[in-house]
Amino acid sequence: MPFDIVQFYADWQTILPECFLLVWACIVTMAAVFSRNSGEGTSTGTYAIWTLIGVLVTAVWVALTPDGTAFGGTFVFDRLAVLFKEIVLGGVLLTVISSIGPVDRMKLHRGEFFGLLLFSAVGMMLMVSATELLLLYIAIELSTVTLFVLAAYRKANRKSAEAGLKYVILGGISSAVLLYGVALLYGMTGSTELAGIRNGIGDLFMASGSFPPGLTMALLLLLAGFGFKLALAPFHMWAPDVYEGAPTPITAYLSVASKAAAVAAFLRVFFVGLESSQTLWVQAVAVLAALAMIVGNVTAIVQSNIKRMLAYSSVAQIGYILVGAVAVNTWGATSMTYYAMAYLFANMGAFICVIAFSNRMGSDEIDDYAALSRRSPTIAVFFSIFLLSLAGIPPTAGFLAKYYVFLAAINNGYLWLVIVGLLTSVIALYYYATVIRKMFFPLDQPEGGFPVSLPLTIALSISCLGVLLLGVFPGPFVDLAQAAAAMLMPGM
Amino acid sequence: MVSDFAAVAVFLIVGVGFVLFTLLLSKIFRPSDPNPIKQSTYECGEEPFGPSWIQFNVRFYIFALMFVIFDVEAIFLFPWAIAYQSLGLFAFVEMLIFISILLFGLAYAWKKGLLKWY
Repeated sequence: MPFDIVQFYADWQTILPECFLLVWACIVTMAAVFSRNSGEGTSTGTYAIWTLIGVLVTAVWVALTPDGTAFGGTFVFDRLAVLFKEIVLGGVLLTVISSIGPVDRMKLHRGEFFGLLLFSAVGMMLMVSATELLLLYIAIELSTVTLFVLAAYRKANRKSAEAGLKYVILGGISSAVLLYGVALLYGMTGSTELAGIRNGIGDLFMASGSFPPGLTMALLLLLAGFGFKLALAPFHMWAPDVYEGAPTPITAYLSVASKAAAVAAFLRVFFVGLESSQTLWVQAVAVLAALAMIVGNVTAIVQSNIKRMLAYSSVAQIGYILVGAVAVNTWGATSMTYYAMAYLFANMGAFICVIAFSNRMGSDEIDDYAALSRRSPTIAVFFSIFLLSLAGIPPTAGFLAKYYVFLAAINNGYLWLVIVGLLTSVIALYYYATVIRKMFFPLDQPEGGFPVSLPLTIALSISCLGVLLLGVFPGPFVDLAQAAAAMLMPGM
Repeated sequence: MVSDFAAVAVFLIVGVGFVLFTLLLSKIFRPSDPNPIKQSTYECGEEPFGPSWIQFNVRFYIFALMFVIFDVEAIFLFPWAIAYQSLGLFAFVEMLIFISILLFGLAYAWKKGLLKWY
């Protein structure tokens, strides 16, 4: 094979942002041990700023990189990849800003925290570009293995250690399930590339007039594997414990960036690779989405810990996103992509509020949020906006996001699913509104107000701006989502 | 399609059956004459003392981990070295990148003092 420099450059050009971030992650990690006092003398803010520089450069680089496919079609850089990479990087950005306080209190391994965060981001960026199942698997592993460590970061804390261990075990099982599905698909179609799988399934159907039974098995295994990664009911059992035990910035990162990346991967695998066999899996996805909405929202009501409540709420949110997946067409993919954008800002913002609160009060109990509006009106107002967006109240992003996924589902004849979605939205509104009510009442003055630090105010403002922009001026964002979704269905 | 997997199943059954069969054969034909020395655990010629189900120092784990990493590296290097002539510059650079990633990990572990026992 002669060495083709043009092809070589074209290949590597598409993956250079990831390479850059990888090198940057190495530098940040190394700085943590090689600077004075093994990095313990460096302030957390310094690490955060250098990490932010890396993330911002990567974000700009991603935006400027031209579309293309590389490495024999296993890695694709298209509008969908760009959008989800920016979502992931946005999640990392907000996570880094909001981790300064919590990481500073951890004392040890502060530099590595940011390094690991970047490694995980590299995994997610590869994940949204992978059009080959083994590359996808390795990308998922890169992002989750680093998250195992990050979840257990406060290792002296029993809950954090428990979170890490549970996440390792469940992550391992889900990877095994996913891999088994991939192996079955490969066995039947002779390919691990999505295009090859698509053709292979088509050939199988042509040959016998029906789908082989093994295909159903493979699809169920893949769905279960993705279900674990997305924390979709009934595969969500790990989520509340991990979310509660992990450091809050990591919880935020887990619930936003890692889910967004998994949604992108889900879109590629199911809307492209398995599109022709949709009769086999759409029903299952609809049932899973309904289950997630019901289980997530109903269980969230009884939670007394805000992180657990948001964990169950995010189980429900992923259910809403998957409502869009019953419409296997451009509109379904557009609505899911738009929902992922809205979810980024709303959920990230909500968790940043939780971080700002626990930085000062050291508590995550919902009862302690009582009369917060008197002590810190900033947090109370921002938190209310984010919760309302999660509940889907106009003029926030959440409303339009829910509207689009429900519309996509109705157009494909899934009225029952939309009814379930609407009913559970009402339940969701109840527990979101309970928190808001607690924050604004009673009106008596409690002792001690507290300000919000500058980095957190910036992060909150960015999230809030995102939530309101997506809700009030959805046009450009819908266009972005549409352009991304169009990549999945070139023929439509 | 299904018959392909049937071949795998037959292979599996024959494979497991063969092992069981040979074990059974040797059980039937070998003389059985146990004594305490024969039944003791072989530990590189050392006389065993104490039970083997003790709690190991967690430090072994780090060394085991590092060993596995370099073991995998060696396995990866062998086919590369054999096909080196035909792979050319590209594979050489790829291998350099791979080794530098491993070196990064080693440097990190070293600096963190993980290679010291105390």
